[in-house]
Amino acid sequence: MSAAGAVSAGPAGSALPPRGLPRLIPADGPLRLADHVERYGPVPFRDRRGHGGRFGAAGLIGQVERAGLTGRGGACFPAGRKLRSVAENGRRAGPLRGQSGAVVVANGAESEPTSAKDRLLLTFAPHLVLDGIALAAEAVGATRAYLCLHESSDKLVFDLGAAIVERDRVGQNRVPVQMVPVPGGYVAGQETSLVNQINGKAPKPAFVPPRPFQKGAHGRPTLVQNVETLAHIALIARFGADWFRHLGPVPGPAVPSAPGSGAMAGSALVTLSGAVRMPGVYEIALGMPVGELIRRAGGPSEQPQAILAGGYFGGWLPYARAHDVPVSDPTLRAVGAALGPGVLILLPESACGLAETAWIASYLASQSAGQCGPCLNGLPALAEMLAQLAFGRPDGSALGGTERLLALVTRRGACHLPDGTAAFVTSALTAFAGDLRRHASYGPCPRARRRPVLPAPGHAWGAKP
Amino acid sequence: MCAELLPELITTDPWGYPIIAPGPVPRDLLPLARYAVTMCPTLALLLTRAERT
Amino acid sequence: MTGPALAASVSTGSLAAGGLPPEALVVTSSTPLWYVTRATGLIALVLLTASMALGLLSSVRYQRPAWPRFVTIGLHRNTALLALAFTGLHIVTTLADSFVPVKLQDVVVPFVSAYRPVWLGLGTITFDLLLALAVTSLLRTRMKYRSWRLVHWSAFLCWPVAVLHGLGTGSDTRVRWVLALTAACVALIAVLTAWRLANGWPSHAGARLAGAFALVIVLIVGGAWLTAGPLQPGWARRSGTPQHPVSGGGKPNSTSPADGTAGGTSGGSR
Repeated sequence: MSAAGAVSAGPAGSALPPRGLPRLIPADGPLRLADHVERYGPVPFRDRRGHGGRFGAAGLIGQVERAGLTGRGGACFPAGRKLRSVAENGRRAGPLRGQSGAVVVANGAESEPTSAKDRLLLTFAPHLVLDGIALAAEAVGATRAYLCLHESSDKLVFDLGAAIVERDRVGQNRVPVQMVPVPGGYVAGQETSLVNQINGKAPKPAFVPPRPFQKGAHGRPTLVQNVETLAHIALIARFGADWFRHLGPVPGPAVPSAPGSGAMAGSALVTLSGAVRMPGVYEIALGMPVGELIRRAGGPSEQPQAILAGGYFGGWLPYARAHDVPVSDPTLRAVGAALGPGVLILLPESACGLAETAWIASYLASQSAGQCGPCLNGLPALAEMLAQLAFGRPDGSALGGTERLLALVTRRGACHLPDGTAAFVTSALTAFAGDLRRHASYGPCPRARRRPVLPAPGHAWGAKP
Repeated sequence: MCAELLPELITTDPWGYPIIAPGPVPRDLLPLARYAVTMCPTLALLLTRAERT
Repeated sequence: MTGPALAASVSTGSLAAGGLPPEALVVTSSTPLWYVTRATGLIALVLLTASMALGLLSSVRYQRPAWPRFVTIGLHRNTALLALAFTGLHIVTTLADSFVPVKLQDVVVPFVSAYRPVWLGLGTITFDLLLALAVTSLLRTRMKYRSWRLVHWSAFLCWPVAVLHGLGTGSDTRVRWVLALTAACVALIAVLTAWRLANGWPSHAGARLAGAFALVIVLIVGGAWLTAGPLQPGWARRSGTPQHPVSGGGKPNSTSPADGTAGGTSGGSR
């Protein structure tokens, strides 16, 4: 991988586009503002008459659409489409008390315990994220922005605050950026949860409609975007959609209308953990096979059994099955998993997949916001069932009961928690079907007694929401 | 309670919450559906106009 | 409200002739309106009790195969509206009745009437709360659920105040069957409230205990007030029934207007 650090100034003070990887995370450490500007060039804002930028008025949204950038927060929704909707709604909503229509919310809360990329990005390339916020604000016509961070990361809050002040001094922010500390909790970082917090309410998901892009913070059309997505936007604004897509051996054609074509383009940050030699955050070209990524991480540290792709709303895949699947949302979904916020966890043979699933199902049940009966009641019941399957000697009715519960919790809540949990559990029942049969015949396996591989911060068995 | 009023479209799950049959409300059940929405003790039901696809 | 219609009348012709005697004989009004007022008041109380009871039943999710929940809720709604209707009638007849000096403002502003201000005022409060309850409930789907629920809690204030109003203002408190009827209403609501306290708010034991405490205290204090107040002779005067000027002739009756009636010659209780 060529070092992105070796960039020289191009014509008119602009920087040459980074070749290859890494693009987002500088190989030589966190960049301060001056180094950031030197490396990537100035932020291509429009001039006072609304012209220019790199691609002219409304050009950024067009470029992001052409690039096919999808959200990196977990939902993988096309970023260009979201930008366009917010811009249109903002125009329609019109100015209110002198403010123009929209609000930008950067989601750096990273409530998924298995993901570490957002923290890393904010530590190493805060100015890319802040550039993205400023450019997105300009594109949708927003006049304020919020940067949401996990409340426990004091150092990050401090450093980002300093970065924002530094930019304010040289007018690099374009809109005031306010930091929002987000409490821990799996659902606290959900987009409507963030909007609720900004509006002074409890950090719980809201019932939609209206979605934030229609009516969000302060009742305005709100763009909620993951910090990594915004960082990509900051680079697309400088170097264009074609540069974004051109990664890896085969350049992807810019065919925005083709379904899924965007989801395999560009680079993404992936948190790789579990039984690998060198766990951590990797920036890869989307489409790289799972096995290749694991090889680059030094290979498995123990005999691998399965992979959890997509975090706790993702899915389990037997290792042999997962090995050749390209890392991207559509390809992972096609095999019953997902990309989510770019999370891959390697489960070793020494662990019991059902036990891990039961542990996380119990964690997710405790994370219910308690607003919807089917989630509040159904998830603990589901966790209970899974505990039976994993640690007891399940009979035929246990599996039937589990499947009935799975049907009862899907699409009956205000947010995705019950659905995501159900998808996670369903994939476990498929991937670990052999274990299910063994447990039914011989009882729980000794592997179930080891310490859990999957992280569940602050959770203990039987904890209630 | 809504399951009592509109058993054609609503059943209850083991915890008493309504499970609503998918699809639009048949025209002859509309008045009853409106009544169920108004009378729900926690106003948990909503009657919306289906969009023409 | 049974008994002979007393057709005593008063001539006020000679009032201008001299000053008002310090105490005067107050006369029973025997107009049909007064009977209607008392009747509608009692009926409204019974209906309000029924509605309150059904509301409490609904809050404990009472259900039987032959009595689905929507019956409870539907009846609760209808009895409440009927109670409101009868209360309206009760107010209209009171206003139309020239005997008691109750004016239009007393309908919505409490404690300013010339007639038993405190106890009539409680009736005013009852009516104000009933209006709030009815209007918010009719507009339920157009307001925030939490606001509706907050207003609906005032039912726990509305009903006891209505009972107190009946006992304090009513002319029939010392009539046996009226007292028995009121007692039955109170008993019913007390039992249902206790049931509701036992069943609701599993996570707020403190609130439930406080509620149970309040229930017991209200019953005790209410009972004590009743025995010391309306059930004792002389209540009509003590509660502020205004004295009416009478024409001269004879010494004014030095005793205050008799028991429980809105002024009545003795023996005139129904």
